[in-house]
Amino acid sequence: MAERCAVIGVGQTHHKSKRNDVSIAGLVREAAKMALADADLTWTDIDAVVIGKAPDMFEGNMMPELYLAPALGAVGKPMFRVHTAGSVGGSTALVAAHLISSGIHKRVLTVAYEKQSDSDAMWALSVPQPFAAPLLAGAGGYFAPHIRAYMRRSGAPEYIGRMVAVKDRRNAMRNPYAHLHIADIDMKMVEESMMLWDPLRYLEACPSSDGAAAMVLSAEDAVSGHFPPAWVHGMAMRSEPTMFAGRDQVNPRAGRDCSADVYAQAGITDPRRQIDVAEVYVPFSWYEPMWLENLGFCDLGDGWKLTESGATAFDGDIPWNTSGGVLSSNPIGASGMLRFLEVAMQVRGQAGEHQIEGARVALGQAYGGGSQFFSMWVVGSDKP
Amino acid sequence: MPDSEALHASHRLEYPYSRSVGPVIGAFLTGLRDGRLLGVKGSNGSVIVPPTEYDPTTGDDTGDMVDVGPGGVVESWAWVSHPLPKHPLTTPFAWALVRLDGADTALLHAVDSGGPDELATGDRVTVRFRPAAERIGAMADIEAFVPEGGAA
Repeated sequence: MAERCAVIGVGQTHHKSKRNDVSIAGLVREAAKMALADADLTWTDIDAVVIGKAPDMFEGNMMPELYLAPALGAVGKPMFRVHTAGSVGGSTALVAAHLISSGIHKRVLTVAYEKQSDSDAMWALSVPQPFAAPLLAGAGGYFAPHIRAYMRRSGAPEYIGRMVAVKDRRNAMRNPYAHLHIADIDMKMVEESMMLWDPLRYLEACPSSDGAAAMVLSAEDAVSGHFPPAWVHGMAMRSEPTMFAGRDQVNPRAGRDCSADVYAQAGITDPRRQIDVAEVYVPFSWYEPMWLENLGFCDLGDGWKLTESGATAFDGDIPWNTSGGVLSSNPIGASGMLRFLEVAMQVRGQAGEHQIEGARVALGQAYGGGSQFFSMWVVGSDKP
Repeated sequence: MPDSEALHASHRLEYPYSRSVGPVIGAFLTGLRDGRLLGVKGSNGSVIVPPTEYDPTTGDDTGDMVDVGPGGVVESWAWVSHPLPKHPLTTPFAWALVRLDGADTALLHAVDSGGPDELATGDRVTVRFRPAAERIGAMADIEAFVPEGGAA
């Protein structure tokens, strides 16, 4: 990339089931003001705003970016909206980063949000269409058969999903912004929770959250803020259609291609050894072992063995989802950005109780739709 | 193939969304229920009505809430000679931008002046609330604005 791009400010709301205390504008401003304060900047220092959220039908609010422009200090400035389903928070950050790396702007504010309590994503994702069989399954119902396919291919034992559910919720106890804080979570509690979509139980699924995330990105000669910058070492997006003959939904090609691209940019040839910490979009427990394989952290079929060995735990050699992950907070439109934001916090050394000591290179990944939209970045504490 | 043989289905899509209004618009709507008109101070001291959480020009947080009205000035208007069932009044009325006393921005609402000849830009009007028992904390708690002094 032509110009170096740095993350110089991060902000997020407290994620909760219902943020009845704020409007949508208030919610996005909460995260944006925190990011500006972290970067030691004000609205007037920002050149452009890039905003993302999941489908408009979630809140029934068509093109909300139009009315949110003045709420984000964007009057008289370029502002636009990104939309790539659940991966949108990641894609939004990448579009903002492109505006820096291309040399167009010096400082860009990027924001993503969802206010699930104003709506029902389960409904919005399950609208029956004329002449089609109504699935009424939501996201979990869509992904469950692919999880079963993964278990059959890899021979993974049933308890692996429960291990991920417990690990990520224990990580969330370290993160004051996480939606779920389940102090006494354990394997038994997960196993005894209600079966939603076989093999996924209630505690193996993400919550519905209200929340927002924001970052200030800057060019090298505009760096400011209270913590050292996180430098973008690589960024990539890929997508593929929901359905086509021969499509592998367990290990989608778009994800493999996306990671190959971002690793090549960042000089990563051995992800498990070279990446210190990763935040990966795991809305249902089994997506940890599936994405471990898709992202090349191990050979095909071995993802569940890494999870079982504790390698991805907070004290493992490749901690995954130190923030608690999507399993602990899911404001859908913001969920991808929260992955990107967490790894920026890690290499900036500002993650507090969920800080991995010495984290210098980190991977953020988001996916969306029917495992078809992917966005990733690698950030580091050193300049690329 | 004749059109009548092509299959056709209706597709009804509806969901009862909700909205959280937040502390500033929430205070404004609560004020309407209580028969009060509230604005908010912007970053340069100007008073914005209806109030916003942020100054629409600078993006900064807005300041204190202040009482405005109940009178104001008609800044512009358009006459509705044949009201439809969902309009706020059953008799002909004007949609008007009304800048309330103490406010620096105008509010869009109905003016019940009787006829288009009884209304001019620059005229003074005053608020007519619905009876207290009917108010719920919504813009419709204001039934309409009427010419000051009841001249209509």
